[in-house]
Amino acid sequence: MEALTHLLHGFAAALSLNNLLFAFAGCMLGTLIGVLPGLGPAAGTAILIPLTFSLDATGAIIMLCAIYYGAMYGGTITSVLINVPGEAASVVTCIDGHQMARQGRAGSALGIAAIGSFVGGTLATVALVAVAMPLASLALKFGPAEFFALMVAGLCLVVGLAGSNMLAALLMTVIGLLLAMIGIDPVRGAPRFTFGAEELYDGIGFVPVVMGLFGIAELLLAAEKRQTHMISAELKTWLPTRQECRQSAGAIGRGTVVGFVLGLIPGVGAIVPTFMAYVLEKRVSKTPERFGKGAIEGVATAETANNAYANAAMVPLLALGIPSSPTIAVLMGAFIINGITPGPFLFTEQPALVWTVIASFFIGNLLLLILNLPLVGLWAKLLKVPFSYMCTGILIFCIIGAYGLKQSLFDVWMMLGFGILGYLLRKLDFPIAPAILALILGPMMEKSLRTTLEISGGSFAIFLDRPLALAMLVVPVIVIGVLIFKPRSLSPLRESDVE
Amino acid sequence: MLIRRRTLLTASAAATIASPALAQNYPRKAVQLIVAFPAGGSTDVGARILAAAAEKDLGQPITVVNKGGAGGQLGFTEIARARPDGYTLGFLNLPGLNTIILDPERKAAFNIDSFIPIVNQVLDPGLIWVKGDSPYKTLADLIDAAKKAPGKISACTTGILSDDHLAILMVQEAAKCEFRIVHFDGGAQQLTGVMGGHVDCAFDNVGSVFKRVQSGEVRGLAVTDVERSKFLPNVPCTKELGMATVISSSTRGVGAPKGTPADVIKVVETAFLKAIESPEMKQKMDAVGLALKPMAGATYAKYYADTQALAKKYTEWALKQR
Repeated sequence: MEALTHLLHGFAAALSLNNLLFAFAGCMLGTLIGVLPGLGPAAGTAILIPLTFSLDATGAIIMLCAIYYGAMYGGTITSVLINVPGEAASVVTCIDGHQMARQGRAGSALGIAAIGSFVGGTLATVALVAVAMPLASLALKFGPAEFFALMVAGLCLVVGLAGSNMLAALLMTVIGLLLAMIGIDPVRGAPRFTFGAEELYDGIGFVPVVMGLFGIAELLLAAEKRQTHMISAELKTWLPTRQECRQSAGAIGRGTVVGFVLGLIPGVGAIVPTFMAYVLEKRVSKTPERFGKGAIEGVATAETANNAYANAAMVPLLALGIPSSPTIAVLMGAFIINGITPGPFLFTEQPALVWTVIASFFIGNLLLLILNLPLVGLWAKLLKVPFSYMCTGILIFCIIGAYGLKQSLFDVWMMLGFGILGYLLRKLDFPIAPAILALILGPMMEKSLRTTLEISGGSFAIFLDRPLALAMLVVPVIVIGVLIFKPRSLSPLRESDVE
Repeated sequence: MLIRRRTLLTASAAATIASPALAQNYPRKAVQLIVAFPAGGSTDVGARILAAAAEKDLGQPITVVNKGGAGGQLGFTEIARARPDGYTLGFLNLPGLNTIILDPERKAAFNIDSFIPIVNQVLDPGLIWVKGDSPYKTLADLIDAAKKAPGKISACTTGILSDDHLAILMVQEAAKCEFRIVHFDGGAQQLTGVMGGHVDCAFDNVGSVFKRVQSGEVRGLAVTDVERSKFLPNVPCTKELGMATVISSSTRGVGAPKGTPADVIKVVETAFLKAIESPEMKQKMDAVGLALKPMAGATYAKYYADTQALAKKYTEWALKQR
């Protein structure tokens, strides 16, 4: 119970007026960063580090963590309203969130996202307090071989659960993987498929692709219909109804577990948990055909997993000093600049500070909820802006976002090109999400496979020696086998579609 | 902010001709400092501390711009192609910069003459380390094991053709042994790999690991330098272990694109050197375990040229092996 005493002291410190103000300012800034598509949490946090130089260490850390959470939530807003993911983890939210907005349920979608984020974040923090140390060391057993297997499992499940569109989903996954091959080879260091264009050395940028495939394609589709508003449906709800909350309860619970567990593994990134949670939710649903057509569970689970992940990712950082994502690496840099070295000795050497920061996680999550629920109505009102203005606004927003990332016009052209591609794919009814997941996971998958083979001296037998990796490789094969050879018993699935 | 590359090349030619008038009132606007690695890494941490200190003397804000990717190649290209007017400076990471130039497969758009080295900030020596409870107590233990089972003991780097990779090659050459080389992407992956027991030993730099060595979580076997590191006084250096050819470090300093006027360079050198030699800089850098190594003018230029020559030998060796 020593931890609890520490935590109470932490709360006392974190609830001081100054620290509350820092948390509040961080949440606001973070939400803004999340909303702007070119500016992900990592870049956003890095830019704001100097802001914290003049603060004391506790205040600085509290503010930076709040920025991080805020950014994880902010991406939801644009995903739901205009089908442009503000950051990677919000891609999944687009799938059902934007459909909900089209049905006039934008308020419900944003509301459930805020509630789910709060629940996921808070429960993950509770788990962090309770089991940080033992879990963190267990997560280290997750080596490159297991990592590769996890990536394969993720992709297989997405394809396998695509229902009647399985072939299309497989095709899109392969296209995504091919696009992921572009750039510098992770082992030899030689450029591949770049046609001499140095802009492609670092691979196809995720942000321009996503903004093109989702945002620009959406604009083209809307322009074709000559409508007066981006979304014609009347706004029906400001907040989730009681029935919607009941529908989402299970989804939020499962999202928390998926997000937390995957967040413990260094390097997984925010998008894998959201995708896995979504796929799981669709799998357990009695009405999987609603997914992709505005199922509130889809939004709830993805957003919950996202924030549970964000908080769980603090476990490897605080307990082992291992930053598990680029954003966490930036946070770690800020910790170090402020004289705090994350690692196993942090809890014994600077308990007051650690527990204050952990207490501030709770407060930050609560502040986000309080901040966002009343604002939901305001955000949703944006949809009332006439299409001609809205369309121009979104286009400018996307172009600035694509350009701002690397200050490169190349990315802007790439975004427009992928916009046209996205429009065609939507017309042909091809799912876009598997391609995006493959594009993000592809480089990680390739790198972990090649590192695994470096470790084993080139022998694939290493996968047989590692039970966890083997299991993760076998399970998706079984799932897909069952889906292919027993179509009748699973007929509801066949009508649905991951995208 | 940035102008398109093609127009830049022509613009830079024009700027060189018009340059003498430039320096008199340099700097009149904010200066960009390009870091070829993502935010949060040790180059970035050092650069942000330096930028905050040097802008006081320069009299204009210095903005750190992270252009990470492709092991620094994208950022270095950006520096090399920037307009040489002193408003774009960049961090030169040695020997990472050298190995990119030396590997023909990388098709680098710059060479060693594309940059003017101005002031060096950090020299972070290499560190060979193992897990805290590893059976290898000394570097000799590790080398013996590698000799007994050639190509079986895995040694990991923080990236292909990084200073850590060169350091492994140096040890192999000096001790006539062979490791199984595993390339990770940066220090965090390396740490996960060693702490999780997936690889046997790691080659990184003192700044990234010293606190873990101090706490006993990991064991430092040797610092690849001619003297011990002040952060790790109990870890022997390779020179005292009789491996005088195993000298490897990551150095980071400020440079400018070729063609930047000499008087502008002088202004930058004065401001940055003053910042690097200030007591506050030392205090801040000590906290993050980065050893300062101020070098400027001819000293830094010589170091820059020497690094290229040394890196050439080992890069060619590494290329032959792959």
